[in-house]
Amino acid sequence: MKTTQNQNLNAHPVAINVLNLVKRFGALIAVDDVSFKIAPGEIVGILGPNGAGKTTTIRLLTGVFQLESNAKIEIFGKDITENPSKYKKHFGIVPEISNAFSDYSVWQNLKFSGRIYGISKGKVEERSKILLTQFNLIEKMYSKTKTLSKGLKQRLNFCLALLHEPPILILDEPTSGLDPISAKLMRTQILKLKREGKTILITTHDMQEAQNICDRILIMNRGKIIADESPNTLREQFKSTSTILFKIGGELSAEQENALLNMFNIIKEKNDYYVFSSYNTLKDISRLYKFSKERNIKISDLKVRETSLEEVFIHLIKEDLFVIKEDVEK
Amino acid sequence: MIKDSLNRIWILCMKNVFLYIKKGPVLIFGLMFPFFMTLSWVIGRDISLEQVFIGIVAMTSFFTATAISPVVLPVETREKSLERILSSPISLNEILLGILFASTLYSLIITSIITVIFMVMFSIAFNSLIVIILMFLGIGLMSFLGSLLGLLIAANPTDMTSDVMIIINLVKFPLLFISGIFIPLQNSSPSMIFISFVSPITFLTDLLRFCVDRSNFFTYSFDILMLTLWIIVLFIVSYALHKRTMPKRLSEAGKSKKKMIMMKKNM
Repeated sequence: MKTTQNQNLNAHPVAINVLNLVKRFGALIAVDDVSFKIAPGEIVGILGPNGAGKTTTIRLLTGVFQLESNAKIEIFGKDITENPSKYKKHFGIVPEISNAFSDYSVWQNLKFSGRIYGISKGKVEERSKILLTQFNLIEKMYSKTKTLSKGLKQRLNFCLALLHEPPILILDEPTSGLDPISAKLMRTQILKLKREGKTILITTHDMQEAQNICDRILIMNRGKIIADESPNTLREQFKSTSTILFKIGGELSAEQENALLNMFNIIKEKNDYYVFSSYNTLKDISRLYKFSKERNIKISDLKVRETSLEEVFIHLIKEDLFVIKEDVEK
Repeated sequence: MIKDSLNRIWILCMKNVFLYIKKGPVLIFGLMFPFFMTLSWVIGRDISLEQVFIGIVAMTSFFTATAISPVVLPVETREKSLERILSSPISLNEILLGILFASTLYSLIITSIITVIFMVMFSIAFNSLIVIILMFLGIGLMSFLGSLLGLLIAANPTDMTSDVMIIINLVKFPLLFISGIFIPLQNSSPSMIFISFVSPITFLTDLLRFCVDRSNFFTYSFDILMLTLWIIVLFIVSYALHKRTMPKRLSEAGKSKKKMIMMKKNM
């Protein structure tokens, strides 16, 4: 019954339509005129540094914060402000940190959630058993939530989010701080949910995760969306960019090191590699050799690497900060 | 629609009673405080059993009513469960009413038990059934009023229970001392009588005096009117404050000025 309802909803061309989201905390603009659309069945990742506005965007979307006057959110074509309670039922939310009642047992949390969403007692029992089995949590059914490990709490969050069979899932850094086994289980479940046709919005810091599971990526910085592309398109756009890595044979004087770092905008990594991005690999390598010869610096272990999504992310954030710095200086 | 809303309020109310009845601050400030306050007031003094009964009922009603309502929001802010509730099909009004009803229910049950026990123990006799109904009406109004007062103080957008408990105790004790529990209004100066209007406990105590031994200062209808007015004012102020402070309570930046400054610096 619920699945049929979800299939009907998925027939609408746009699952989530967000227009002109703004959120201010005093003088601080946490979300600054954000707009995006998500199609049914799509997995969209929001990436951004800490304080970029990802979680605030999610809180606006899920009705935790009230919308400012010009903002609009449509879920399957319907404005959520018309009947917030009804549209909140379309969402299943998995937060980064467990927000289940710690003094309730796993089962009591599920029962409470079921009652709030108006699900019958029998259905709650049936759905709970399915979900607890799916997330390997059935043995902890009667354990108090506060006694569970972080990984188990996160599994409970997934169960709570899926209990009322929502067509849209919102995952706020769902694998953050989890052990590799729990994180893998979560990723497998996310991909399974995608196959079931769920629309998923996920925020993450994990570039590999975003690259593997997202159809589209929104990069946020300082409350704004600065990129909205598929992971492959993003990397394609920066294909002309490579990363050049090298080591230095022997010790560098402070003067030599300063000259080197300034010349190519180089970053020194912990593993002693010097790294910089290049738009013209051959030209930059020849410049680097000429520079090192003039200053008597020995270059060794030189490598050229294809740009990863992580490097695209860092590049975009840096570029955005550079534009802001220029604006401030003007 | 209204039925669904009432159902959600009831679910929240039951959750609050179940989760918070055993919390330390609720037990300490709801049960132990009125007990020890009564002991320290009664021991070594020549006070009639009727006066002791009035004091016990008024203090129990006020202390139990202000025990649960200030605790819920700071705890749920810290545990993030408030955010979970807000993102489910529940409105802010329903959350606040769920807290109010839980706190009122807790106070009503405890005060009713204490009232009956001491009625029997002190052999307090009432003239008519109407007087008993009036007494329980007063207790009911005070339970709701005290819960509202607790809720009002909890509008402070903190996630630390101790922050709220400090403020509420700073408010509760002066209200208790100026209320006429310890010194009947008949024996007070005109200025003290004027000040006693600031405390809603004055009107419960006076109503109880009417019910127990007719030693009331105001009329019982005036007492009920004043308690009702207090409820209306506290309800409006409390709701308006919560609506204003809720975004701050939920925002990471809103939790402390220090965090806000750090965020600005990082940007």
